[in-house]
Amino acid sequence: MSFDYIHLVYLFGTLFCVLGILLCIRTARTRFGKLEDAPPVSLWITRLPAESAAKLIAFVALIVLPAGAVFIANYHTFEGVHEVRGCASCHVMRPMVNDMQDPNSGTLAARHYKNKWIAENQCYHCHSDYGFSGNMEAKMTGFRHLARYTTHSYEEPITARVRFNNQNCLNCHQGTLKFEAVQSHHTAGARLASNEMICLNCHGQAHPTSIQRTPGSPDYARLMEPFR
Amino acid sequence: MRLLHWECGCAFIAFVMTLAFVLFPGPYEMAVFTFLAQPLFAIAAVSYLWKVFVDLRSRKLV
Repeated sequence: MSFDYIHLVYLFGTLFCVLGILLCIRTARTRFGKLEDAPPVSLWITRLPAESAAKLIAFVALIVLPAGAVFIANYHTFEGVHEVRGCASCHVMRPMVNDMQDPNSGTLAARHYKNKWIAENQCYHCHSDYGFSGNMEAKMTGFRHLARYTTHSYEEPITARVRFNNQNCLNCHQGTLKFEAVQSHHTAGARLASNEMICLNCHGQAHPTSIQRTPGSPDYARLMEPFR
Repeated sequence: MRLLHWECGCAFIAFVMTLAFVLFPGPYEMAVFTFLAQPLFAIAAVSYLWKVFVDLRSRKLV
């Protein structure tokens, strides 16, 4: 059995949270003013006055364990968005994911998927700004998407507010023999690098069109099937 | 006197939210962790540190 990041997140996340809950209950019930006469407390290799031990436990419960839990959960957030399943868990993303996995689709995402040009985490490979390596603007965009999705303050079909960064494509394609052999890539190189021109201008739709993703369209029911 | 009563209450609720997100990740759990649990942790920590500072100052240690 492989022991990947998700097992570590489950293990340490549960450990920090359960321990935090128990120590919070203990600290909340501690009467600090009445500890002076209490007997010393044994903590592993040492014995501490009861008041000092209670203060140490309060520090662990309110600073150390929350810091650990927040770190683990944020790591979970940024790693979880790598997986296709993570993207598909928001139903507005289902048309993109279902279309990508449809062998009969000719969109750019579907062609990458069925030809196995990207082995895993296909969404993230082309939208890599979202993760730890992405810039702050992309992360803020992710949080905005999360807030709008969970508060239902959006309308279908969703539209991208930001321009897709060509660098996401160039990360894999630039420098390959096939890419370099195409003269127009050199002619438009500067405009591609500056995002003045986008790859989709020549390479077609990346995902289903907004018309296909509009509720009531003939393709809508097929595109919105639950993720398997 | 229970000095850290409501700080522990905030942290307790935040830990429960965080645990839910860790074990059952989904958009709603993620939103609860991001927009509620983290601020609750921060509020609890700031209030705790303030009380520590006040305590140290009352003992003329800072």
